[in-house]
Amino acid sequence: MKGGFRQSQAFLHTWSGLLLGWVLFLVFVTGTVAFWREGLNRYMRPELARVERPMAVLAGAQRFLGEKAPAAKSWSISLADARSPGAQVFWAPQPKKGEARGRRRGRRDTQALIDADGQVAHARDTRGGDFFYRFHFDLHYMPVIWARWLVGVASLMMLVAILSGIVTHKKIFRDFFTLRRHKGQRSWLDGHNATAVLALPFHLMITYTGLVTLMALLMPWAVVANYSDPAKLSDTLFPSAPAVERTGRPAPLVDLTTLVADAERRWGAPAGYLEVSEPGDAAARVTVSRSPASMLSSRTPRFAYDGVTGRPVWASAPPGGAAETAGAMIGIHAGRYADPLLRWLYFLAGVAGTLMVASGLVLWTVKRREKLPDPARPHFGFRLVERLNVTVIAGFPLGVACLFWANRLLPVEMKGRAQWEIHVLFLAWGAAAVLALVRRPTLVWPALLGATGMLLGLLPAYNLFAFPAGGLASLGVGDPLPAGVDATMLAFAAGYVAVALRVVRHRPPVRARTRRGSAPLRDVPAEMAA
Amino acid sequence: MTALALLLTLAAFGCFGFATDEHHHRLTGRRPGSAAKRRWRAAAWFGLTLAFVAAIAGRGWIVGPILWAALVMLGAGAVFLLLNLFLRRGCVNQRSA
Repeated sequence: MKGGFRQSQAFLHTWSGLLLGWVLFLVFVTGTVAFWREGLNRYMRPELARVERPMAVLAGAQRFLGEKAPAAKSWSISLADARSPGAQVFWAPQPKKGEARGRRRGRRDTQALIDADGQVAHARDTRGGDFFYRFHFDLHYMPVIWARWLVGVASLMMLVAILSGIVTHKKIFRDFFTLRRHKGQRSWLDGHNATAVLALPFHLMITYTGLVTLMALLMPWAVVANYSDPAKLSDTLFPSAPAVERTGRPAPLVDLTTLVADAERRWGAPAGYLEVSEPGDAAARVTVSRSPASMLSSRTPRFAYDGVTGRPVWASAPPGGAAETAGAMIGIHAGRYADPLLRWLYFLAGVAGTLMVASGLVLWTVKRREKLPDPARPHFGFRLVERLNVTVIAGFPLGVACLFWANRLLPVEMKGRAQWEIHVLFLAWGAAAVLALVRRPTLVWPALLGATGMLLGLLPAYNLFAFPAGGLASLGVGDPLPAGVDATMLAFAAGYVAVALRVVRHRPPVRARTRRGSAPLRDVPAEMAA
Repeated sequence: MTALALLLTLAAFGCFGFATDEHHHRLTGRRPGSAAKRRWRAAAWFGLTLAFVAAIAGRGWIVGPILWAALVMLGAGAVFLLLNLFLRRGCVNQRSA
């Protein structure tokens, strides 16, 4: 019975891991990069100076919105800090007659970025790190709801794969420190196990809490059974001050910086986000939210103020037990609270998770290659998995590297520039897919890995010439961010080049038959770990 | 306190690694007895417990446990790489020299 159970778990582990493994790889890569979302937002706008005085930026945002959209339905301002490129502002125009609500926020013509001097930023148009954040659960070029279902199902499979993997690889804890190198399949297995078990707490946490972020979509029944009115649920989860009606009597808006200072004094922690309803009207209302960087739970408390007198009128009630639990889980998933040390540890654990998924996918082919009846002509399923592996594991990072280059090289005045940066990622990835289809994996693996390494390695060199004020110079004035991103790129470049060289140099054992496909990649985990 | 917690997790996993037959034998040339193994493991668990205390003392009850878990992973990963890649290579060189 015991053996039967373990065998069934091995079957479950193999197939739950394989079927959505490619989606998981994309989710892991972009999620790992997205831990540097704010940092990349700034890195990818290299013309902008670091924010030194957030309150001056806020005053600038208020000035800008007062001129640009004085009679808007609402404004929202995400407050600037040293990590962010500036304050992102949105405004929603008054709804037209017959429209239930104003236009959806987030349109490009109703938003702006306010830079460190409090002026509208003149920076290249880019999605920056936000792209990775959105892609992590919304993917791209497809309706958001489908993408979330797909990512949700992939996460469920991930949870199944982790739990069945613990049963299948029963010796992972006893062989905790074992890495047999240059041993083909055993090395792959040890590498897969090492990346899995060393960061197992992270993998379990990130998968489970990832499902929690999607829980209302995946399992709506608890919500349906308890709340007939969706607005009431939203009010329970995200309490907000009662809505205000425009009176038509103009009144000047209070200085927003004084309200933020007051809220920060009450919390003893920084504010992160600010919303103004009916600015310029006697009924104006300002809501300030605490910065998610200052607390674990994603359910940040809020204060509302009268927009004319600046008198506090409302404070969000402390969330209930269930809401607080969900908030803490989402908070621990997103890691917005994490200081630089903890953020690096999140990032490293994410890299380990990415390697775990990648090595698991490759292991599927490594294990089956030995048993192929005719290794020169593997069956269709084998070739499909092998080539999908090359396309996704080597091709997608190449696309990401090309995105970073597009961010530097596309003309600043180009129309739809931000979207084109992303198109470049998918064009490069598509080219990689075509290459993987028409050429042997033994060639395409090192070609793609090597190209990715070269692109990542040359980017810091380009930055050095194109933006002399960034990078090393900024390090001199105590701003480690641009140089830190460049150094990380160099480290990954070295890793990719090393793996590519390893694949090129690898000679299959003498008894090997011809055309062994991706067999040369066998020793990669050990090398990647190095 | 954070640095202390990190040192403790590193030391703890060093002890765990030293309690394995393979690495103990490679590093000392002897096989560890079962009593010795138990002692190394006990020391390791003690180190992890102290690291938890240090993490809580440094960062409080909300971030402290998260930081501890993250440092445990970092300690395990660092010792894993050290034992398998660096100490091993040095060992081989010595033998060939």
